[in-house]
Amino acid sequence: MWTIEADADQGFGPRTREVWRYRRILWFFSLKSLQTLYSKTVLGPAWILIRTLVPLGVGSFVFGSIMQVPSGGVPYFVFFLAGQVPWNCFDGPLIRGSRGIEMNRQLLTKLYVPRIILPLASMTAGVAEPIIIALVLLGSLVYYRVNDGVWYVQPEPRMLAAVASVVVVLALAFSLTLWTSVWQARARDARFVLRYVVGFWLFLTPVIYPLSAVPADIRWLAQLNPLTPPIETFKWALLPGMQQSWPWFLYSVGVTVAAFLGGAWYFTRSESLTMDKL
Amino acid sequence: MNGRWEVSPRYPGAIATLGEVWQYRRLLGFIGDRALRKMYRRTVLGWLWLFINPLFPIALRAIIFGALLGVGSNGLPYFLFLLAGTVVWDTFANSLMWGTRSLEMNRDLTDQIYHPRALLPFGNMTPALLNMALKVGVFVLALIYYTARDGRMYLRTDLELLWAVAALAVALLLALAVSFFTAIWGETARDIRFGLGQLLSVWYLLTPVLYPLSQVPAEQRGWMLFNPLAIIVETFKWGLFGVGDFYRDQFLATTATVLALICVGLTYFARAEARTIAER
Repeated sequence: MWTIEADADQGFGPRTREVWRYRRILWFFSLKSLQTLYSKTVLGPAWILIRTLVPLGVGSFVFGSIMQVPSGGVPYFVFFLAGQVPWNCFDGPLIRGSRGIEMNRQLLTKLYVPRIILPLASMTAGVAEPIIIALVLLGSLVYYRVNDGVWYVQPEPRMLAAVASVVVVLALAFSLTLWTSVWQARARDARFVLRYVVGFWLFLTPVIYPLSAVPADIRWLAQLNPLTPPIETFKWALLPGMQQSWPWFLYSVGVTVAAFLGGAWYFTRSESLTMDKL
Repeated sequence: MNGRWEVSPRYPGAIATLGEVWQYRRLLGFIGDRALRKMYRRTVLGWLWLFINPLFPIALRAIIFGALLGVGSNGLPYFLFLLAGTVVWDTFANSLMWGTRSLEMNRDLTDQIYHPRALLPFGNMTPALLNMALKVGVFVLALIYYTARDGRMYLRTDLELLWAVAALAVALLLALAVSFFTAIWGETARDIRFGLGQLLSVWYLLTPVLYPLSQVPAEQRGWMLFNPLAIIVETFKWGLFGVGDFYRDQFLATTATVLALICVGLTYFARAEARTIAER
């Protein structure tokens, strides 16, 4: 009579240590997901620049000069970029990370890696865009310093809040990826649903408009969206004349933690089931 | 000739290609059916998407841009204004997407039986047409609602209404003409499919769907008229409601260009078809 204990290494601590042991694989997969992103395209990595920069210019023209969206005293372009940086920390990593398991299914049937590495590695490819946007933001600040003689961003201690916001947004994206990557491995079309949802989410989050444009009596509704507080905090940290509220920020942190714990449980529970279906 | 033979493909012209498409027209329904089945296959909600899809995004955009940001709408209810623009834009964008993917999506069919490949862009646009029909239905309902609510006839009742029909047709034809090129390119280069989605989202913003052309600052307006879709969308809204400016000459020029582009596209498509078959 034999008993085979297959689940000896379960539990949060051992799993985290396992990821650390496999960190080289994580690095390898991150590089791979960056490379496969633009493989078989003629323009190659130039796509990253094009797909990041062109929407920035067009978006700020349409929302800023045609629709006259308020921007709280700073040029709309700067305001727009300050919203796009944290938003892209969410959008890109979430969409890319969700494809992590599905894209590597051939590899997965051949060798063992801790599954969690795959969404994590695919997320990394999504960080390229916010970095490019942040550089554009920096460039635009220099431009306005030369042109208008004003630094719209003052180096102050509250800028650290911007870092905290980015961390929260990335953590939220990762927590959601724990759910979505499993769904996507099972039904490929989950991807279209996800894009659809994220497309709405952008409009429901004060990225292209300030939260102050929302009527005061329903503002709490907008803040129930866990992305609203960190994105508002990011803008507040960089730009003058913005507002944010720490209680709501803590609410976002709470939602993120809950999504992460739930996601970790769900991901571990479904991973053996999912792999069988690949 | 020294007893040497050269086998080279014969390139049919645009008319011959169209004739062949007509000859094989019975296959169109079959291809359209395939495309429809592919659309929502393996999704949980299935056919419900067909109804969620047109309604939900428009409602959300109407709330954000109309109510929250107060974008102008030429004196119409913003929802109605947005709906009219969306009917034209989505017809164009969806047809272009489906047309572009037609060759790649039906490769298994092409490998198995002979059919004129020019049939595919036509047949594959069926989901886009169905989507358009649904949106037109929603538009009619919204029109009835707003007319009853405000006691005011928004729709114009003269023959100028035909301009709106023409604008919708030109949008469809433009998508078809561009598909003849992009379907061929998209078979080999991944960039096309990849870039098309990006291009369309930027193009959407530059087309006066969310906002009226009259709201564009005057110095940029002339430059925006280079966008054929801007003229088509504005003509459509002018034809329906009589609001905004009517760029009659530009619209006629766009129509002529689109027709010419269809001829060039068909010729290009037919040549590329002969070439790829010869290479197989």
